[in-house]
Amino acid sequence: MKNPQEMRDVYIVGIGLTKWGFYEDQACYDFGSEAIFTALKDAEMSWREVNAAFCGSVYQGTGSGHQAVKEVGLTGVPVVNVENACSSGGSALRLAYLMVASEVYDVVVALGMEKMPRGPIPSTAFRPWELASGFNIQVGNYALETVEYMEKTGVTEEDLARVTVKNRKNGALNPNARFQKPVTMEEVLGSRMVAEPLRLLHCCPLADGSAAAVLCSRDKLRSKARGVKVAASVLVSGVYGDGMLPSGMVDSLLHKPEVGMAELSAQQAYEISGYGPEDINIVQGYDTTVPSELWGMEKLGFCRPGEAAGLLRDGKFGLEGALPVNTDGGLMSRGHPLGATGLGQICELVTQLRGEAGKRQVKKARVGLSHAMGAGPNSSVTILTC
Amino acid sequence: MSDDSKQPISLMEGFWSQAVEEGGPRLLGSRCTSCGEVYFPPKPKGWCVHCQQYTLETVPLGARGRLAAATVVRQAPAGGFYHGPVPYAYGMVDLPEGVRLISQIASDNLDDIKVGGPVELVIRPLYTDQEGREVTTFMFQSKA
Repeated sequence: MKNPQEMRDVYIVGIGLTKWGFYEDQACYDFGSEAIFTALKDAEMSWREVNAAFCGSVYQGTGSGHQAVKEVGLTGVPVVNVENACSSGGSALRLAYLMVASEVYDVVVALGMEKMPRGPIPSTAFRPWELASGFNIQVGNYALETVEYMEKTGVTEEDLARVTVKNRKNGALNPNARFQKPVTMEEVLGSRMVAEPLRLLHCCPLADGSAAAVLCSRDKLRSKARGVKVAASVLVSGVYGDGMLPSGMVDSLLHKPEVGMAELSAQQAYEISGYGPEDINIVQGYDTTVPSELWGMEKLGFCRPGEAAGLLRDGKFGLEGALPVNTDGGLMSRGHPLGATGLGQICELVTQLRGEAGKRQVKKARVGLSHAMGAGPNSSVTILTC
Repeated sequence: MSDDSKQPISLMEGFWSQAVEEGGPRLLGSRCTSCGEVYFPPKPKGWCVHCQQYTLETVPLGARGRLAAATVVRQAPAGGFYHGPVPYAYGMVDLPEGVRLISQIASDNLDDIKVGGPVELVIRPLYTDQEGREVTTFMFQSKA
């Protein structure tokens, strides 16, 4: 197996993000192709320079990436569709990264896009009997993990609500977010119960949307100042015995692994990049429901199990804190177009590392980490540096 | 003559046995003869995904366990796969044989489910299908 450290450097040179919301009058390929155009313009590149495209989506049917690329130009480039549930965008980015790093291609586009079905996520990452038993309700699955997490750590409903309040506050500064209005603790704790203990405002809203990134080798960089280096891009698709209820996987009681899926993905990313959690100064975490941002921070090694809620309370994860998390409002504000989410996180990291985040700009953001996980199961971690 | 078409059917085959002489239904699982890992539902291929060998045998599991976590779902799952009542409760049940499973929780009062307490296996109808047959499934309920 080749060590990514021994391969050539890869840069993200262009990003494109459509405003996330509901596009009743547009097809997915409409706003998907728009993200590609925006990313190319940002990269000061033309589509003819692109060697390949990896397109993440979940619910768009056969060849959805091709539908988007058709609107940009069938120039003979290979298009590969990537369905990896909530990690589809992150997985598309990883494939693009590996193709450039390994010198197969010089310029590759990673696209994530989704036009979401309305209502709760109709996840099919389950066996037929689990579907028929009502176990594919992802809020319920996160609720069960939350019950156990709260029991183990003493995290309270107020702690959970505090994540929502923080993220919606950040989202109010993000013109691309679906929700740009802050919420109060009272509003979160008074919102309707979906699956105890998770209320509506503990759960990310869905949205349609797309995000794209142009990756290239150093010699193709137009602007050294705007290129953001991919320090690591890893994917771990499950570790036996580490429960992931949104994928129908329970903990093994007899053989629980020492290192779980999310922990392993973080360890690999730190090893490849040479950075540790102490070097990271901005995080895009995975707040599909707010408790998963808290335990995510713990699993990524930013603090010990059970400590994240206290650090959040003390302001560490706020925009002005020592380690801002979900600076664009996260899934809670952006919304969650499954296939686009991972690349939406990347777009925010690149914007921050370039110093172009405006009112939500984090001071001295040099090394950023994004984490997307979910059904499959998958855990993808990307580390970027300027 | 009885009308067979109205006999209850199971939501899943091979997940439990009606061992009435042993005091009621028992869930079936697989146990690895090498590493001891226990699985529910049973794995018919016999392959232990933990230790990577064909070493599984089918075993009856206990009818009692501990409710490790529970939630009450107030909104119907999407996709049209689920035909049971809403709201409904489900949770993680730990069996003393060393396996955790996901199960619906049977309760007359969904607001009164006690996490951490002992639960026992019951076979209950989940819904009635289009032919008018009851479709049954395994559930756990709090022990009186």
